[in-house]
Amino acid sequence: MILCVLFTNRTGNVLLERFHGLPAEERLHWRSFLVKLTTENLKTARDDEVFVASHKSVFIVYTVIGDICIFAVGKEVYDELALMEVLNAVTASVKEVCRKDPSERLFLEKYGKVCLCLDEIISQGALEHTDKDRIRRLTRLKPLAE
Amino acid sequence: MALVPPPLKKDDDIDDDSEYSPFYGIEKSAVLQEARCFNDRELDPRRCAQVITKLLYLINQGETFTKNEATDVFFATTKLFQSKDIGLRRMVYLMIKEISPSSDEVIIVTSSLMKDMNSKTDLYRANAIRVLCRITDGGLLGQIERYLKQAVVDKNPVVSSAALVSGIHLLQSNPEIVKRWSNEVQEAVQSKAPLVQFHGLALLHQIRQNDRLALSKLVSGLTRGSVRSPLAQCLLIRYTSQVIAESGPNTMTGDRPFYDFLEICLRNKTDMVMFEAARAITELSGVTSRELTPAITVLQLFLSSSKPVLRFAAVRTLNKVAMTQPLAVTSCNIDMESLISDQNRSIATLAITTLLKTGNEGSVDRLMKQITGFMPDIADEFKIVVVEAIRSLCLKFPQKYRILMNFLSNILREEGGFDYKKAIVDSILILIREIPDAKESGLSHLCEFIEDCEFTYLSTQILHLLGNEGPKTADPSKYIRYVYNRVILENATVRASAVSALAKFGVVVEGLRPRILVLLRRCLYDNDDEVRDRATLYLSVLTDEPSSIKENALFQGLDVPLENLEASLQVYEPSEMPFDLEAVPRDVKAHQQMEKKAPTRSEKKAAKDASQKAAADGGASKSFEAYEKLLNSIPQFSGFGKLFKSSAPVELTEAETEYAVNLIKHVYPGHIVFQFNCTNTISEQLLENVSVVMDPLEGEDFNQVTTKPLASMPCGVPGQAFVAFEKPEGACSLGKFSNTLRFYVKEVDPSTGDADEDGYEDEYQLEDSEVTAADYILKAGVSNFRNAWESLDSELERVDEYSLGVRENLQDDVQAVTTILGMQTCEGTDLVPSNARSHTCLLAGRFLGDIQVLVRLSVGIDSQKQVAMKLAVRSEDPAVSDIIHEIINS
Repeated sequence: MILCVLFTNRTGNVLLERFHGLPAEERLHWRSFLVKLTTENLKTARDDEVFVASHKSVFIVYTVIGDICIFAVGKEVYDELALMEVLNAVTASVKEVCRKDPSERLFLEKYGKVCLCLDEIISQGALEHTDKDRIRRLTRLKPLAE
Repeated sequence: MALVPPPLKKDDDIDDDSEYSPFYGIEKSAVLQEARCFNDRELDPRRCAQVITKLLYLINQGETFTKNEATDVFFATTKLFQSKDIGLRRMVYLMIKEISPSSDEVIIVTSSLMKDMNSKTDLYRANAIRVLCRITDGGLLGQIERYLKQAVVDKNPVVSSAALVSGIHLLQSNPEIVKRWSNEVQEAVQSKAPLVQFHGLALLHQIRQNDRLALSKLVSGLTRGSVRSPLAQCLLIRYTSQVIAESGPNTMTGDRPFYDFLEICLRNKTDMVMFEAARAITELSGVTSRELTPAITVLQLFLSSSKPVLRFAAVRTLNKVAMTQPLAVTSCNIDMESLISDQNRSIATLAITTLLKTGNEGSVDRLMKQITGFMPDIADEFKIVVVEAIRSLCLKFPQKYRILMNFLSNILREEGGFDYKKAIVDSILILIREIPDAKESGLSHLCEFIEDCEFTYLSTQILHLLGNEGPKTADPSKYIRYVYNRVILENATVRASAVSALAKFGVVVEGLRPRILVLLRRCLYDNDDEVRDRATLYLSVLTDEPSSIKENALFQGLDVPLENLEASLQVYEPSEMPFDLEAVPRDVKAHQQMEKKAPTRSEKKAAKDASQKAAADGGASKSFEAYEKLLNSIPQFSGFGKLFKSSAPVELTEAETEYAVNLIKHVYPGHIVFQFNCTNTISEQLLENVSVVMDPLEGEDFNQVTTKPLASMPCGVPGQAFVAFEKPEGACSLGKFSNTLRFYVKEVDPSTGDADEDGYEDEYQLEDSEVTAADYILKAGVSNFRNAWESLDSELERVDEYSLGVRENLQDDVQAVTTILGMQTCEGTDLVPSNARSHTCLLAGRFLGDIQVLVRLSVGIDSQKQVAMKLAVRSEDPAVSDIIHEIINS
């Protein structure tokens, strides 16, 4: 199960979050945990640098592009390597939608598009699509290129 | 870790940047107002999409809609199906899923979605399936099942995936329907589209997960090579290891089924598949080193990968392997050492803790140097992991206690939160308890620490320890200054603890008593009641005539379990009759059960963590003291001398029988006391005059001398009956006894709880019990086995060789001999590296009469799996060495 995909700016303010199978009361806890766990690493992180951690039975991979930090949290089948597929798909799609190193403003301007991409990548906690070109077409309801 | 402000939602963020946000100042009511444009006759798709984006933003920010608001938005959104704009249609699909309409509203949108589901446009079909499956209930699902089945095998992979993923979710709520798709899903697994394979396999596995045979067939069909998607291959590897775990090795050839498949996957071109296969191999039960080697090689390769996720996955897996088979991982040590400086702290921490498990004694110094450089860079959570690993290492190599203890004391002086400091203090406390040589230096480090400790809990804990251990050291006076400083400088809780600690020095060390009295008198003017009260009490005890009873009560605690005391105090009603401490049951069974549970819980957590082993041993020593006090309080046993050993409880009844009885054997130089802990589980019965009748079946040395029956045993209240036997002084007498529980039963009325006046006699057969040689040997480790071995006269060494016949591996033999002898394994030699051809296990113990005995147990296995054992025994008394050989011979 992919438990959570979270976007924050570099200072840890949440921009967009999608939780799956986590009760609402635990979400705040997860948000603060992720930000606390990763602040030190992200301070000096380069664009596209990937970080990874595990906490109890849960895995966390995260990266940063431009002003945006992206986290993916999962468990069971979605271990660090499977989450990497998720993170790669999300990162590539965000870059596609908002260009290579998105600013916070640009990300928020493209908010609707990012939501559509996430909807194609993750369906109720399961990975559905990974290819960025396919995702782009799907968000526009354009038929797949043969 | 530096404190970071809690993450703020964007709306709360009122810095200058926020005006750049397109959502700045967004208000729910305004957006709902805007959503009215969904009802316009001429729809403006662009504007509608913007409003949906705002609604999505609000929902994602945690904004909630009232029932009416949600219904209005939902109905308005459904109007948007009239628009032909495909961008807007995509947003509408998402919006309907997000707003999750209630079951009575779904009907409004069903027909539109059904129409889309039969559309010629593939992507309308895919999206309609996803939306319908998300919002629909079982009834509607029956109507659309036909379409869903078709969609599973649709030639467009997007449609197929949409149906399969929806199936995975629907399986939770409507399993019967989804299980009927089995054939279609099986076809989907053969699809050429990678993700369809992945989704199909996941769903097929879920459909068949409770059918072992079907699962096994699925795996053997697919391992022949039709699955190409890396994600699906990873799933297949997981399912394969599940089948392997359930099937066991092939009885004809001894081979493990499907191992070849895993090995082929190790050579896959995708990292993810290689890793999954390597991990699956390391997790095989009873994995041999031949099986393990190729997997370790793959993991080693990943340690130097440029991808952090691969490095992390590899080191995490190696860390797990190191817990059970440290030797298998040593070949990766050099690669792991380079990971200590990894930018990613999680990787560095895992590398360090793995190295601490696999490193040999010679590498400790080098490793510690590297860790010292690394510690300031990591967060407290990671530091705690490192501290725990160092504690285990110190217990494994006690000779290295100096460098490890110094490391702990150095990091204790640095900044850190409570949990981190507590982990360090706990580690030092364990090392002090387990390694006698480390005691004085450990106490000194703790004294330094409390001079500047901001945590009351830790200060009081350390002061308590100083009070107990300080007086027994060579120079107790040096600790007084540290303790008294607390009285001057700290808060009331710590001051009170310091007063108690001071008083303990006064009691034990007579030479210090006058000076302690001076210090205690100063405490009489303290401004806290508790501190003054304690000082007054201790002064009165120390200045009065010496009275062992008072001192015992004050300084050695009460000889009753606190749980029992609490229960008795709660039922005591204030009256003329004073509370009688003697009336409190001395039974330790309830207390013991808790202690028994503790290790099982910790075992689950980290089965072989040495520190927990140490903690469990600590529990054992605590219960020994409790037994000693209990037995001393019984007059019949007072002449038996000093208690040598109390065994672990042995159950004499099956679980969940009417009466639960377990046995603890207490060994004295010339006697054995059998303590039967009995519990009555029948609420309709009251048992009285409960005793155990023991008949010797073997062993002529034993003569029964006394018994102590239990007067009354109501339901659920544990009690004890005792039987004592005499045996020749200092002899290692062996015996076997049959046991019968005898009692007088009275019926109890469950409604009133009153027992009948009349009853009847009855008895209950218990399991037989034995006195074995291990009962006369105390587990007592030595900090340096070689020194201890060489200090014993080699002339008195007794060596013999034994053939143990054909065995599977050496581990079981080492385990069996260790258990029979009941001795302590030293220096981590209880673990035999998998597939080792020979192994030496070092055992230490003390024999009845406090005679040290050491054993070097060497075992070897040849190609025919014949096991030979050489047993070298040294002891202060050669007769004891002979007894050890006799035990093995018998």
